[in-house]
Amino acid sequence: MINSVILSYITFVYFASFMLYLVMMIMGRELFGHLATIVTGLGLAGHTFAIILRWVESYRFGIGHAPLSNLYESLIFFAWAIIVLYLLMEWRTKNRTPGTFVTPLAFLIMAYAAFSSIDSRIQPLIPALRSNWLIAHVVTCFVGYGAFGIAFGLSIMYLLKRLDSHGKANMFLRLIPDSAILDELTYQMIAIGFILLTLGIITGSVWAHSAWGRYWGWDPKETWSLITWFVYAALLHSRMIRGWRGKKLALLSIIGFSCVIFTYLGVNLILSGLHSYAQS
Amino acid sequence: MKTPDSLNKARLLWDAFCSIKLTIFLLIVLAATSILGTVIPQQEGAIEFARHLSPWQFRLLSALQLFDMYHSTWFRVVIGLLALNLIVCSLDRLPGTLKLFSAHHRPDRSKPFESIPPHRTFSVKEEPQGVADRVTGYLRGSFKRLETKKTRQGYFFYGEKGRYALFGVYLVHLSVLLILTGAIVGSVLGFEAFVNIVEGESSDMVTLTKNRSQKWLGFRVECEKFSVSLYDSGAPREYRSELRFYSNGKELKRGSLLVNHPITFRGITFYQSSYGTTPGGKIRLRVSKDGEGTSSEPLEVNSGDLMPLPGCDAQFQVMEVDENLKGMLGPAALISVHPVNGEETRFWIFQNMDMLRKRFPPAMLSSPFLNPSAFEPYTFFLDEIESKYFTGLQVNRDPGVPFVWMGCSLMVAGFFITFFTSRRSVWVRALKDKGKIRISVAGGASKNPLGLEKELNQLTRRLQDLLREETNQ
Repeated sequence: MINSVILSYITFVYFASFMLYLVMMIMGRELFGHLATIVTGLGLAGHTFAIILRWVESYRFGIGHAPLSNLYESLIFFAWAIIVLYLLMEWRTKNRTPGTFVTPLAFLIMAYAAFSSIDSRIQPLIPALRSNWLIAHVVTCFVGYGAFGIAFGLSIMYLLKRLDSHGKANMFLRLIPDSAILDELTYQMIAIGFILLTLGIITGSVWAHSAWGRYWGWDPKETWSLITWFVYAALLHSRMIRGWRGKKLALLSIIGFSCVIFTYLGVNLILSGLHSYAQS
Repeated sequence: MKTPDSLNKARLLWDAFCSIKLTIFLLIVLAATSILGTVIPQQEGAIEFARHLSPWQFRLLSALQLFDMYHSTWFRVVIGLLALNLIVCSLDRLPGTLKLFSAHHRPDRSKPFESIPPHRTFSVKEEPQGVADRVTGYLRGSFKRLETKKTRQGYFFYGEKGRYALFGVYLVHLSVLLILTGAIVGSVLGFEAFVNIVEGESSDMVTLTKNRSQKWLGFRVECEKFSVSLYDSGAPREYRSELRFYSNGKELKRGSLLVNHPITFRGITFYQSSYGTTPGGKIRLRVSKDGEGTSSEPLEVNSGDLMPLPGCDAQFQVMEVDENLKGMLGPAALISVHPVNGEETRFWIFQNMDMLRKRFPPAMLSSPFLNPSAFEPYTFFLDEIESKYFTGLQVNRDPGVPFVWMGCSLMVAGFFITFFTSRRSVWVRALKDKGKIRISVAGGASKNPLGLEKELNQLTRRLQDLLREETNQ
């Protein structure tokens, strides 16, 4: 199908933008940064087009539904959300360095979707998935995951920046923004992610209530989303009330994102539960 | 009367519970222990898992209630402690917040200006009253509360907005308590049950999930019809039960029950949960005499009816129908033949006789009990057993749900207030300074210092534009 072919090319586009951001940071040339933004923007345009195309194609098969219903489609949307949020952040902060840490995430996700054994065909929706809550649930969850992904990239940057405590290190580390700015940006991304994760859990809960007759059932997926929620709640409390900053928060943000990834992939691959349609 | 000592103890306990360290500790404990329940199979799943454990492992896990840990006493205690922590923290901080909320800030404070960067001060050459009017006009546009003061030195302004942001966190805490209340109300006053109803039949009893006991609904629910529709690929598309609700023999409601579209009747909600088939009691068979092959007419027989055997005076009856006898022999029916005189003969007949002959040794099938030709000279052939669907319904009553949804909405509102709004205070002063007017901008915020910085810089630029522009005219 043409949409998945386009999407597999987008993988390389994101790899190219990663390389450009990296070259920008190593050589300290803003030109490469401009190019990187343009390439990423074009990648996003193609990515969006392919998602819409996939949506349209599903209607042509007579099984029309938003392309958010299985593992392949969720990976594609996850990468899309990361890039959208990243470009918004780049536009607002006028700083391109996080691109080096965020675009590889989108590239890896796209590569996993395109080049592993994941089924990329458009499949019809089973009865449990035929609900208006599908779009709301998946969109809130994955945009939230995207925000946590960017916070993760920023936390890595923060830890790297600490290596440069005397300001004498190489170009790469010098170009990373100040710790205080990184810390604030990380916090803002986590706040956005946390609200969206909460909305994702709530919409999932409303949906589960109409599909399975209970709003909460301690299914592994539900439990892991709650674990993730607890970790980020602890992070937000430690920052807002106890004034924790810097390294501790960066580490908590990395732990939080590991929980996100486990909630998303680990639960499907290792544990079993009601969310098994996200497996194939 | 309380002694100072017990007061002290109460104070200590209070302090322990309003500590944010405890909150973080409890959140981490909940996160870490919750992992256990996703690794160890819970409830029904635990039975199979427990068989692979050594006795002491089993004793350990069951002593720790790890086979149903999310409903265990200790897990509930941790959640209870978190709730208590949240209540005590909120109560402890509320007076301070109220004070902050109603605090009155003097416009002519000098402290906020102590460490402002140089670019937030500028001078204009203009008449003081005009400057004051324009600054007031501008600030009124962006700050809800504005106070001004005039002294001999100049003019002082204090603007404030977003005071309600201080209460966002209380909304979030209240929402958690509401959700927990909903969960408790649901578990005390609600129930969770299931019932299987065969097409065309009805039931007024359901089985409780908790202890498998029967519960009377107070009305009767009938499954008129169940259907499965498939996609072209063979994947299921829709499960649909046509339900009717009766009370005292009168139909009060009917509707189609689909996955994701539950039906509520008298506060009890029905969900499409599963389905299956069961023998419908009707079978189609043929009978041949003297090995004449399969020439006899197909007969449709209801289970239990006495039917004449073609060509003689004997009668036969279908005693039992099984969709898959012994779990491996396939569709089968138990036939009983009653001759006019003499003993009754009983034997099973099978739909897949040819397959069985291939799979099982002849010695096994030679038993008269499994021989379709046991009543000589007749041979029975089973063509089809008619099966009926039954619908598996989940049946719940949960009066806690409105609390949970209320809590969820409140939580989202609380987050928006907490994260995206903050109380911002701005001080602007316009001091007379050697014929010019020196204007400085300072501020404070309950959070997001970078955002405040941006806003103050922007405000300075706007004021600069405003005052310079008009000077030029």
